[in-house]
Amino acid sequence: MNAPFFKFGLFGDHLSLVVAFLIGIAFGFFLERAGFGSARKLAAQFYLTDLTVFKVMFTAIVTAMVGVFYLSWMGLVDLSLVYVSSTYLLPQIAGGLILGIGFVVGGYCPGTSCVAGATGRIDAFFFLGGMVGGIVIFGELYPLLREFYTATPMGAVTIPDLLNLPYGFVVLAVILMAVGGFAGATWVERTMAARKGAA
Amino acid sequence: MHAGPETLAVADEHLARPAQSYWNPYLAGFGLGLTLLAAFVIMGRGLGASGAFSSLVAAGTEAIAPEHARTNDFYAGYLGNGTQSPLLDWLVFEVVGVLAGGFLSGTLAGRTRLTVERGDHISNRARYAFAFLGGSLMGFGAKLARGCTSGQALTGGALLNVGSWAFMLAVFAGGYAMAYVMRRQWQ
Amino acid sequence: MKMPRLTPTRGAALLLIILGIVGLFAGDPYHRSTATVDTRELAAIVERQVDHVTAAELADWIIQGRTDFRLIDLRTEEEYASYHIPQAERVPITALMDYGLQRNEKIVLYSEGGIHSAQAWMLLKAQGYRGVYMLLGGLDAWTDEVLFPGLPADASAQERAAFERAVQVSRFFGGTPREGAQERSVTSAMPPPPPPQAVTPSTAKPKKRKEGC
Repeated sequence: MNAPFFKFGLFGDHLSLVVAFLIGIAFGFFLERAGFGSARKLAAQFYLTDLTVFKVMFTAIVTAMVGVFYLSWMGLVDLSLVYVSSTYLLPQIAGGLILGIGFVVGGYCPGTSCVAGATGRIDAFFFLGGMVGGIVIFGELYPLLREFYTATPMGAVTIPDLLNLPYGFVVLAVILMAVGGFAGATWVERTMAARKGAA
Repeated sequence: MHAGPETLAVADEHLARPAQSYWNPYLAGFGLGLTLLAAFVIMGRGLGASGAFSSLVAAGTEAIAPEHARTNDFYAGYLGNGTQSPLLDWLVFEVVGVLAGGFLSGTLAGRTRLTVERGDHISNRARYAFAFLGGSLMGFGAKLARGCTSGQALTGGALLNVGSWAFMLAVFAGGYAMAYVMRRQWQ
Repeated sequence: MKMPRLTPTRGAALLLIILGIVGLFAGDPYHRSTATVDTRELAAIVERQVDHVTAAELADWIIQGRTDFRLIDLRTEEEYASYHIPQAERVPITALMDYGLQRNEKIVLYSEGGIHSAQAWMLLKAQGYRGVYMLLGGLDAWTDEVLFPGLPADASAQERAAFERAVQVSRFFGGTPREGAQERSVTSAMPPPPPPQAVTPSTAKPKKRKEGC
């Protein structure tokens, strides 16, 4: 096996930047195709009227998860060379809550705001400006935040590792959860639409 | 060349094809998943977005106040030993691609136009203010969590990363909790 | 009972579930602690002798100031502290796999005589490292050829010329050339270990490669 190709030296740092650009194009393309250039569509997730965010996100997660799992099983990819970021439980949960709030207030997330900005949404420009501001604030407050930022480190740990379950078992559980979620999401969307129509 | 009202009107005509409907979400998600998988297989890493903006901020801080940038641990991490610009970063190039890809898809579908996304019950100005505020919360939260929905939720989610899944649940929790408060903006 | 219609979406969901069930039979995708070895490829490498660098070559690289390779010392902490080749990083063989070496980096391994470096070479090659080399003869060869080069009494003119060069190299590393064919006396001291601020990898690499979001 010689994948991930970059980790086996198939190409160097400079070509990896070209790869980054190409992958980014695909990323942005599919985000826009899904409708994520629209803050209203994104925010609708949190009002249960349009659960596209959930459907797209979890379809993507499941696709990549099953893909990399099978490729590893077939010996085509060395999964240990795919970067898994370290878990810092408390700051990540805190950051997630703040991010969720920012999502509903701002209407975008960093990736989708790029797509929206690229398709002319003026509010996305303000969002991007705010994001830079938020990062600057974080950077300036970093000396004070550092202790919390590095609290509860757990290393690079996966759910199968943590719960001591076979990897394939967790994969199946995620698949079932996702499929069930999709069915539930469709039901919720229909119910909300009917309610709106009846009102 | 500045975009005066005539230019915008002309642009509007060119782009005023009837907007196509969005793709089936499962299809778009599948495409997104394949893109993520390609990143895994080719680069051995996942996608991201907020990291590129951190690099941008670090580069900007170095340009404006180099002393401050070097003494602050956070910026120093992005600047390395100064031989290479923080903008020569995988994520920065990826985000430039996202801009291009988004523009490409939007323009092909007739969805590219200068407009403001908001509900009917608030003004443009209020929307801008909320967008800015939301963006700063996002920026701050993304740094704290070491990622955003692209990097942590999608990438870490696919790799069954514990922190990423915890993060994802927190994002949904935070969003739903705040939704009631912000409902005027979107209806 | 009427079967629900199989739309493409439902079909995809069904396929996904089937893949998940089949995946229950897969093992740990991280294949921890196991590696595959292409025996023919490794045997060919050994035969073509492209698995090592000589002490003289390594000395030249260091003098030229090359930083495009990692030099790994596999010995103990005490041995490393008493003397090590400049630029060498001490990594015990058990920590080698997790040390953070890139698979496309040039890595030169050395130990006292060369046996441990040969074993470490095999381990790294099995893990897919491309550019791994052993120092031929280990630190023993470094000491004999680089630090304390000797010249036999009946040397040819060519050999004398080469010896002149070797003397320069030896002085660069703080060694002393031997006169005549005498064996290096056991009391002739090793040069002091290089100062700690020799080129370290952290200054050699411009930026810690960030792979997060």
